[in-house]
Amino acid sequence: MPSLRLCDALAAHARDRPGAVALVLGEQVTTYRRLADLADALADRLDRLAADRGRPLCVPAHKTPGTIALLVAAFRAGYAVLAPSPELGPAARAELTAQARCSAVLTVDDDGVLHRDTVVQDDAAARGFDVPDPAVAPLLLTTSGSTGTPKIVPVEAAAFDRFADWATGHFGLDAGDTLLSYAPLNFDLSLLDVWTGLRLGAAVVLVGQAAATDARRLHQAVAEHEVTFVQGVPLLYRLLTQDDVRYPHVRTVICTGDATPRPLLARLGAAFPRARFHNVFGCTETNDSFLYGIDPATAGERIPIGRPLPGVRALLVDDAARILDGPGTGELYVSTPFQTSGYLQRERNAGVFVPAPDGGPEVFYRTGDVVTRDADGLHWLDGRTDFQVKVRGVRTNLQEVENVLVTHPDVAEAAVVALPDPEAGYRLHAQVTRRPGTTLSSLPLRTHSAAHLPRHAIPSSVQVSDAPLPRTATGKPDRNLIKALHQKGHQA
Amino acid sequence: MSNLPQEIHAYVVGEFLDGEDPADLTPEFDLIESGIVDSLGLVRMVSHLAGAYAIPIDDIPLKPEHFRSIGAIAAFVETATRAAA
Repeated sequence: MPSLRLCDALAAHARDRPGAVALVLGEQVTTYRRLADLADALADRLDRLAADRGRPLCVPAHKTPGTIALLVAAFRAGYAVLAPSPELGPAARAELTAQARCSAVLTVDDDGVLHRDTVVQDDAAARGFDVPDPAVAPLLLTTSGSTGTPKIVPVEAAAFDRFADWATGHFGLDAGDTLLSYAPLNFDLSLLDVWTGLRLGAAVVLVGQAAATDARRLHQAVAEHEVTFVQGVPLLYRLLTQDDVRYPHVRTVICTGDATPRPLLARLGAAFPRARFHNVFGCTETNDSFLYGIDPATAGERIPIGRPLPGVRALLVDDAARILDGPGTGELYVSTPFQTSGYLQRERNAGVFVPAPDGGPEVFYRTGDVVTRDADGLHWLDGRTDFQVKVRGVRTNLQEVENVLVTHPDVAEAAVVALPDPEAGYRLHAQVTRRPGTTLSSLPLRTHSAAHLPRHAIPSSVQVSDAPLPRTATGKPDRNLIKALHQKGHQA
Repeated sequence: MSNLPQEIHAYVVGEFLDGEDPADLTPEFDLIESGIVDSLGLVRMVSHLAGAYAIPIDDIPLKPEHFRSIGAIAAFVETATRAAA
C-alpha cells in the first residue's frame, strides 16, 4: 500500500461499499469488507510481533489476497515493506533483506495465517545503503537483477499518489472498472493495475503464476469477470488472441514492456473491438514516462514510444554531451513526477540520477536508452547504450550473463549475443569455449546458470565447443560474427 | 505407451535443444529452471502434446510442474490419456 491516501480510500470502500469486489483469484472472490477484515486480523498479529518500525519488513510478493492484505496492514502500521519476487533464490533474497536491514520475512498462507522468518542482521552487507523511511517511501521494489541481486528502488508515497491520479484521469478509470493484473506483484506495473485499482474501489482480477501461460484460463478470467482494463507484455496479448476470441467489455488496452509486433496489433484490434490502445514506456526507477495512442488499423512496422507524459521532462543527449533541441538521436534522460529519489545503495546513484543537463532544478534519470525524436516530435526507441536488451519484457545485461558463464570451472571463455525474436523480443545465445581436456556440455552449464541468474537471463541456446571464440582485429570476441554464424546455422 | 519417455525425449531434443548435446538430458533434468523451455515454449509444448496424444487440455488443469522434466511430462501424458479414455 504505497500511500496513506490509499489506506484511507480502502477503509472508506470497506465502509461504504462492503460487498463490492476488490480481488478475484481463480474461484476466490474477496470483497472490500473481507480485504479490510483480513488486513485487520494481520494488523493484530503484526502488533503482537512488535517488530522495530525503524526496519522494513520483507514480504515476498506472492500474488494472493492474503499477501495484499498483509502489505496493507504493514503500511497502515507504519512499516516500510520490501516486496521482492517470490521466485528469487534464498541467497539473493537474504542479500536484499540484509541490505535493506529488514527485521523479518513475513508470508501469509492460504488460511490467512502469518508466518515469520527471522533475518540475520548483517551490518557489513547494509553498509552504504540508506535506511528506508516508511513515512516517505513505504514500498521498496527491486529491479529485475540480471546478476541475481536486484537493486532496491524506494517508491515514495507522494510519487505513487501522483501516478495514480494521472492514470485514473488519463484512462478514465473509476470504481466500476475491472482491472486485469497480469504482471507479478513485485513489478512496477502493479502500481497501476493493483494499487491504483484498489485506491479507486475497482475490482482487480489477479492472474497467478500458474495461469500466466494458460491461454484458456486467461481467456476465462477476462471474459467471465468482464474485465475493462488490460495491461501487459506481448506474451499476454498473444495468449488472449489465440482463438479469435472477442472481449467486448475491455475499454483500455495498454501494451508495455516490449515492442508489440504489427501482426499482433492487427489481432488486438479484432479481439478488443471497443478498446482504445496505448503504448506505455517506463521503468522501475521513473515509472511511466512516455505514452503513445495506437490505432491498430493504421499502425506501421514500428510503434513509437510517443511523447512525454504531462509533467515529464525528456532530453536527448548526443555523444558530444549536447542537448538536442529538434529531431535527432541521443541517450534519453527523463525526469518524471513519479520517480524514485534514488536506489537504496547510495553509490549506485552516481552518474545515474544526475542534475538536469540543461541546468533546470529537477533530478534526471539517465535511462541508457537510445532514442530518436522525429520532425513531428514523436520519440522512437532504438536500443541501448550498453549491453542491455529486453528478453520477454525484462531488461537483461549480456555482460552479466557472460560473467556468470565464465565462473563455471570448465569454461575457458564465453560470449553472449542477443538475437531478435518475433516472440520474445530478443533471445540470448551463448557461445562457449570449454577448457582443454574437459567434456563440458551445455546442459550442466544451464544448471550452473540457473543457480546464479533469473530465468529470463538464461540463454535460450548454448553452444559449447573446443574452438576458441572468433576475434575481431582488436582481439575482442567478435559478437557480430557469432551472431551471424548462429543465425546462418538456423536457416540451413 | 512403453515408448512414451523416448518420444518425449526426442521431441524435447528436436524442438528445444537446437543442436545442443543431449547426453546429460536425464528424465529428471529440470527443463524449466534451466531455461530450455520458457513460457512460450510451454505454450508450444502443451499444444503439441494435445495434438499428438489427443489430450483434452480444455478439461484438465495445467500446472508448470507437469512439464518440468521429461519424466513429469511422460507421467502427465499417461495420466491425461488414461483419464480421457
